[in-house]
Amino acid sequence: MKVSNVKSSAVAPTEFKVVDTSVSKVDGYALTKGKAVFTDDFNIPNALVVKILRSRHAHAIIKSIDASKALALEGVACVLTHEDVPRVAYTRAGQGYPEPSPYDTFVLDKKVRYVGDAVAIVAAETEEIANRALDLIRVEYEVLPAVLDYEHASDPEMPVIHDEPEISGAYDPSRNIANHYEMHIGDVDEELAKSDIVVEGTYYTPNQSHAMMETHVAISYFDPNGRLTIISSTQVPYHVRRIIRRIFGVESRVIKPRIGGGFGGKQAVHVEAYVTAVTLKTGRPARCVYTREETMTASNTRHAMRFKLRVGASKDGKLQAIDMQGLSNTGAYGEHALTTFMVSGSKTLPLYNKVKAVRFGGDIVYTNTEPAGAFRGYGAPQSTFALDSILDELAYKLGMDPIDFKLKNSIREGETSPIFKVMGEGREGVEQIVQSCKIEECALMGAKHFNWYEKKKRPRIEKTKAHGYGVAFAMQGSSIPAIDMGGATIKMNDDGTFNLMVGATDLGTGSDTILAQIAAEVLHTTTDKIIVYSSDTDITPFDKGAYASSTTYVSGNATKRAAEKMAFEILKAASEIMSEPVEKLHLENGKVISESDRSLTYSEIQTKLFYSFKQRQLEVTESFVSEVSPPPYMVSFAEVEIDLETGKVDVLNFLSYVDCGTPINPKLARGQVEGATAQGIGMALYEEHVSDKNGRIVTNDFFTYKIPAREDIKNIKVEFAKSYEPTGPFGAKSVSEIGLDTPAPAIANAIFDAIGVRIKKLPIKSEDMFFAIKNMVKSL
Amino acid sequence: MKVEFKVNDRKHSIEIKPGELLVETLRRLGYKSVKHACDTASCGACSVQLDGNPVLSCRTFTAAVDGHDVKTVEGFSKEGELSAVQKALVDEGAVQCGFCIPGLVVTAEALLKENLNPNEEEIKTYLNGNLCRCTGYVSQTHAIMKAAEIRRSSTSVPVEKRGESS
Amino acid sequence: MLKIKEYLKPKTIEEAYEFGNLLNSLYVSGGLIVAQLKVSHLERLVDLKTLGMDEIEDGNTVKIGANVKLASFMKNSILSTLNNGFFKEVAKEIGSTQIRNMATIGGSIAFRLGWSDVTTIFMTAKSQVELYDGIFRKMSLENFIKDGKRDQIVTAVYLPKNARFLAFEKFAKSTFDIATLNLGIALSLKDDRIEDVTVVVGSRPMISERVREVEEFLTGKDLLSSMDKAADLMEKVIKVGTDMRASSEYRKALAGALLKKAMRRICHESGIQS
Repeated sequence: MKVSNVKSSAVAPTEFKVVDTSVSKVDGYALTKGKAVFTDDFNIPNALVVKILRSRHAHAIIKSIDASKALALEGVACVLTHEDVPRVAYTRAGQGYPEPSPYDTFVLDKKVRYVGDAVAIVAAETEEIANRALDLIRVEYEVLPAVLDYEHASDPEMPVIHDEPEISGAYDPSRNIANHYEMHIGDVDEELAKSDIVVEGTYYTPNQSHAMMETHVAISYFDPNGRLTIISSTQVPYHVRRIIRRIFGVESRVIKPRIGGGFGGKQAVHVEAYVTAVTLKTGRPARCVYTREETMTASNTRHAMRFKLRVGASKDGKLQAIDMQGLSNTGAYGEHALTTFMVSGSKTLPLYNKVKAVRFGGDIVYTNTEPAGAFRGYGAPQSTFALDSILDELAYKLGMDPIDFKLKNSIREGETSPIFKVMGEGREGVEQIVQSCKIEECALMGAKHFNWYEKKKRPRIEKTKAHGYGVAFAMQGSSIPAIDMGGATIKMNDDGTFNLMVGATDLGTGSDTILAQIAAEVLHTTTDKIIVYSSDTDITPFDKGAYASSTTYVSGNATKRAAEKMAFEILKAASEIMSEPVEKLHLENGKVISESDRSLTYSEIQTKLFYSFKQRQLEVTESFVSEVSPPPYMVSFAEVEIDLETGKVDVLNFLSYVDCGTPINPKLARGQVEGATAQGIGMALYEEHVSDKNGRIVTNDFFTYKIPAREDIKNIKVEFAKSYEPTGPFGAKSVSEIGLDTPAPAIANAIFDAIGVRIKKLPIKSEDMFFAIKNMVKSL
Repeated sequence: MKVEFKVNDRKHSIEIKPGELLVETLRRLGYKSVKHACDTASCGACSVQLDGNPVLSCRTFTAAVDGHDVKTVEGFSKEGELSAVQKALVDEGAVQCGFCIPGLVVTAEALLKENLNPNEEEIKTYLNGNLCRCTGYVSQTHAIMKAAEIRRSSTSVPVEKRGESS
Repeated sequence: MLKIKEYLKPKTIEEAYEFGNLLNSLYVSGGLIVAQLKVSHLERLVDLKTLGMDEIEDGNTVKIGANVKLASFMKNSILSTLNNGFFKEVAKEIGSTQIRNMATIGGSIAFRLGWSDVTTIFMTAKSQVELYDGIFRKMSLENFIKDGKRDQIVTAVYLPKNARFLAFEKFAKSTFDIATLNLGIALSLKDDRIEDVTVVVGSRPMISERVREVEEFLTGKDLLSSMDKAADLMEKVIKVGTDMRASSEYRKALAGALLKKAMRRICHESGIQS
């Protein structure tokens, strides 16, 4: 549709009225007042309390389950075992259909594959009774040897974790390999042989927990008409609906209220299958709220990964070859196994497009540990740590400033990388020419702001403290191209407001707000006139959900299209009412204004259309799927202080410059980067799960698993190096994930700068640092 | 057992179980702002004020609250109106998922009662037991600085007025 | 929710002790520790807060009632100014605002938790505890930790008032975590020589313990020149263990490092140039 007088996307950023302003979140008032807006806040009368009996063994066959004593307990409604639920293989991963993750999971199985795996579902009148019933269930196990070390998961003679015949989509389950991937461009071995300098290294990143404040929770019930309804704290309501239908063969409505954080952890079906099983069995409402321990030990973590890297460069600092061989631990089930691994390559390697040869590959293996899943960054934080660290080392060995070296070899506007086409998510990618890239501005403005060159001249060690300065570069993507689709519906009301209905899933990110801003910008009105209703599968149009840095880009574009169509509908209606040609009308400030200075408010137009003139409801629906995935870029600077007596590392300053195109809402975009930075600092310094010799996670609460507290975060600063992405809504790209990519490498590089120790394993524990410093002092 | 206590100045006289925790009682009574999040005294999302001091309701026995005053975030805003702290949190973009916010507001209000002119360090120290996984804390610190400033200027107004009238 | 049958509110200390001696009873004051216990046989809680015991009395020593909250370290005019504001400063290292508003000094000591900062701090200050087990008795905190009985009710802590320099160091993974190791040192200086010195290490992960070898070594020495050797000795003699937070090897090194930090702090406070 071409309408010359509807504002098109090609306008200069300075003309924006609503976009690129920091309006406050549309849900901010309800949230600060503590209104009952989260799933567990909903009062559903007579709901059963659902609890899960979990395996104490890492790997075992269930010989028998005796639930008779539990069932005899007054107030127990049902106890469900693998015999009572459909035996349908599926993946918990909330991805587009067909999912690139293997179908290797059952609601309940006769085999358990990690400590915490579900054995039985209990539903009772109260939590107390449900807990008592759990204690009364007797399970007889045949305990099997377990695979706990992912570096040896596919060794010969290892026990096979997935020997069920129903499994599909896995690469070689007989060797515990969930997926395998490899690619190459050019001849890596030859280019490395020709390189003047070659650096090698092996890097490890841990199984970080999402640690969102709200645990996993869902409620299910039959509505008065007998339609199954699921209220869930999920990032992917449409995928939940589809997967529930796959398992149980039942249609449902999935409603997502406010969510207390997700970060990828809720891009999966966790509790929904359990409450559904209970509601289908008993006909009664069912509520399941995970404990913190369940959320920490029986949901998802980040994939722990190992990368072996070899990089080569010529003496003048030209990157010749990158050889990146990975190994990823997907735990007991292959959720997001292949795709996170591929993103490790596809969202890092194109950044250095001047390189002559690239090889990337490896296995994603099953182990008898908590399943890994989607987690903000989705493989890129792991690989960025490895790649950026080794490039920093290479620059150091070349005697070049890392900023100069990385800039010399990185991508620019108008350029491409063959990797965009070769690697996608679970399949081939798409060709794309980078149309917006301010990586150079990020680096140069950041260096100036950070005082990089001046700081690098300062003495590093004073008394018992050392200071160091590090820099890291990153890119990400905006949506999964040619797969992810989002829709938006806009309905006009007779009071001049609009209902914006989107499947897009605001998990605290502020997407409801920025989508309202996009609609308001197009419709020449204010954000408060856009009433957003999101994520209700019976009412809102389809949207893939909140993941893959796609909401601003995909759902934003869908919203923009819908708003443009609505704008045209308004002009058309006004033209009929005013008897003026459409060409002589334009939208301004909630009104249609003609060249002859006549005007009609939106309220007047819809009121007429309701009651007196060519009566109809103005309502439009549009969809968007992208052909490209334009990367945002970021350069971060870290200043660390190391206590040489204890090995403790503190990040005193962390400055980032981000190119996310046009920030639709700078305040909220900044918050995305600040939050991701704190999570990245957590990944770099604190967060790691410790398991006992039987594979039980002992860091199963916030008392033992430490996420950064307020005083741990010293000084984070985020600035934007704005670009204009022509394919994005009003020039926008994604911003939610990229912030997690840079902290670990920037901090590790700063530690090297301070004391000359290369960190290759996260988290950077004080204890390890202490002994590294001690050994270094000894060797001097 | 029977207990009687006030929540946001409203008296509740109720029957409880002897081992019941305050977070459970409050949510049962409809104060849904009080969150279950960690249950190990490690996150602050369940914070309420007990006789004016922030405490963790996940570790407070309701039996021990008999005869005392509890204040939840519902008690800090009149209907349709936000307190300075709440408003500043929204204005500064310091609310993302919002799950930690009620506990944060309750604790920050206590801070401002004790210290109307806190610096950034004092804010971080006082609120260190309130974890937030979304924001990275930066905007929250700014918001509380701003709220303190607003409250300082608003509390100075009546003082001046008194001075004028005398 | 704790599965208990009774929550008792005794009116007198005698009644509390009687209730406490009933089978499967436990004393509770702040609630922080008790509320998370997963003890299946627990039947009743005996709330000590109903007994008052929340006064801070200034005299030759400072008497701190067992139910005094840790927040009082910062807020109470006597405690917050004692030893140049030492207690006010160290309180910031313990828990959080909410935890300090709940945790009582009695509970922090009576549960004998290995990671207790309060035990290390008060042991360093050579505190006495007042106990009730049918009669009131007094013993040093050090002996109470070693030999005290579980059924004894801690009713008060007596903090000696003197001009010793006090320093406390805590090493933790993050700013909101229990100590990987904590250390306290108290000493007097006479003609720049160390006298009357107490050195305590806690969260080893075992409970706080005095380190007499280091105390003896330091006695009569001057602060600055004895620091490195004292730290070396500390690393040799300190008894530590391994857990998920740290290895014993690292804890030994931390004990030495924290001793140096604490001694430097006293150097600074006493005006000695380091």
